[in-house]
Amino acid sequence: MAIRAGDASAKPALALQDLVVRFANQVLAVDRVSLDIAAGEFVSVVGPSGCGKTTVLNLLTGLIPADQGTVTGKAEVLGKAPTAGNAQIAYMLARDCLLPWRTTLDNACYGMELRGVAPDVREARARDLLGRVGLGGFAEAWPKQLSHGMRQRAALARTFCLDSPILLMDEPFGALDAQTKLQLEDLLLDLWQAERRTVLFITHDLAEAVALSDRVVVMSARPGRIIADMKIDLPRPRSVRALQKSARFHELYASVWEKLEEGLGQSSEVVH
Amino acid sequence: MKRSDNFALTLAGHLAFIVTFLVLWEFASKRGWLEPTFFGFPSGIAAYLWEGFVTKGQLWKQLGYTVAGTLISFVLGSVLAILLALAFVSSPRLERAMEPYLAVLNATPRLALAPLFLLWFGLGLGSKIAVGTSLSFFIVLASTVAGIRGVNQDHLTLSRSLGASPLQLFVKVTLPSAVPVIFSGLRLGLIYSMLGVIGAELIAAEHGLGQTLSYLQSTFHMNGVMGVLVLLAILGMLVTRGMSALEKRLLRWQ
Repeated sequence: MAIRAGDASAKPALALQDLVVRFANQVLAVDRVSLDIAAGEFVSVVGPSGCGKTTVLNLLTGLIPADQGTVTGKAEVLGKAPTAGNAQIAYMLARDCLLPWRTTLDNACYGMELRGVAPDVREARARDLLGRVGLGGFAEAWPKQLSHGMRQRAALARTFCLDSPILLMDEPFGALDAQTKLQLEDLLLDLWQAERRTVLFITHDLAEAVALSDRVVVMSARPGRIIADMKIDLPRPRSVRALQKSARFHELYASVWEKLEEGLGQSSEVVH
Repeated sequence: MKRSDNFALTLAGHLAFIVTFLVLWEFASKRGWLEPTFFGFPSGIAAYLWEGFVTKGQLWKQLGYTVAGTLISFVLGSVLAILLALAFVSSPRLERAMEPYLAVLNATPRLALAPLFLLWFGLGLGSKIAVGTSLSFFIVLASTVAGIRGVNQDHLTLSRSLGASPLQLFVKVTLPSAVPVIFSGLRLGLIYSMLGVIGAELIAAEHGLGQTLSYLQSTFHMNGVMGVLVLLAILGMLVTRGMSALEKRLLRWQ
């Protein structure tokens, strides 16, 4: 699968149109969400907790079981309806999900193993990625021996080992301390800039969203609606650390924050 | 250096204690302070074991029967239990249907079933295996179900998003994550298998250490009784140690 970098004329990599998700208990989780993400684009979705961000991701991975609610509207991955285990998608969760009985190397290989990559190919690729995330010396370590940050690095390596053109990331750095978070954000940017895959990144951290993304989509509290879709025109390649001192970064941050606050105000009026 | 010094010191301490204890016991029995008919004496116990394993060797056969019965009932009980646990996990309805019957069977003191099993399976190894299996089965069943239920849901979600088939989910995620819990069940299961086999041998048997013990006791051969007890203690310890060593190897990641 070739990875097209920012090809605007091509069909969107991810497309949502008038998406409505209602849970079995009749709670409206996602309300008429429409969103197109071009191939090679890095888009973050921010919003208060419970705004349906994760629901959208689970839908795109095809992991929402049919008995958990009703879905109307359109959700497409590279022009097709989502299916569970779609090889076009690599999914990264908030928790590292390393299998404790596998070494770091075997964990990095895990995704490729499930997707049928040949053993020698996957080991070479996993070793390469572990080196790039700074875990070259920990290939044989057990997950219990790694710190939080290192475990999440290993999870990044496992995700990037897959050649899926689309990455779905659900608050992957949500549980890390501020310093480690900055390091891993820069690491993610490095990895992404090298390959330009399509990323849909979910977070509740505005600074993170602005620093990493081409676009930041703001959602309201439940029922989740899109209330703003803002272009982040910071030049690439970026360094998250350097951005902390950039005036433009803080300007953008403030305007996204404003939109998010508006959204919080609106939804509290709508709450039934 | 310090560590091994400590170890040597501890060992010496234990040896000194045991030797003192045995000497006092021997002395008290010889002097008639302890009734030898009830307690035996260490040199007599040693002589019995020496005769049983070296000069006459009749204990090897009894030991073999007990060990064979234990191992067979352990393997049989564990395999049946793991298979049923798998069936339960894939069909909760089956578990709900069988649960009350299993609860009743599990609540029945299994040794009380020994007379029944003796009638059904005879005096030989069969009845011993039946009792041992009925004990290990329930322990391994409970721990296997608990272990499989305890699988981390995030691991399953991630694996599904990566396209794992149901078989892959089971082999690569559920089973390895259940191994520690299953193992604690297997360890207990092995000990209970031994308990069941020896218990049944005590009641009625042609061979086995339990049968030997029962015979020696009825003939007031106290040195023999004590000797067999020592043997059983060593056997139990070896079994536990062996399982621990295996567990340590298999669960290095913990």
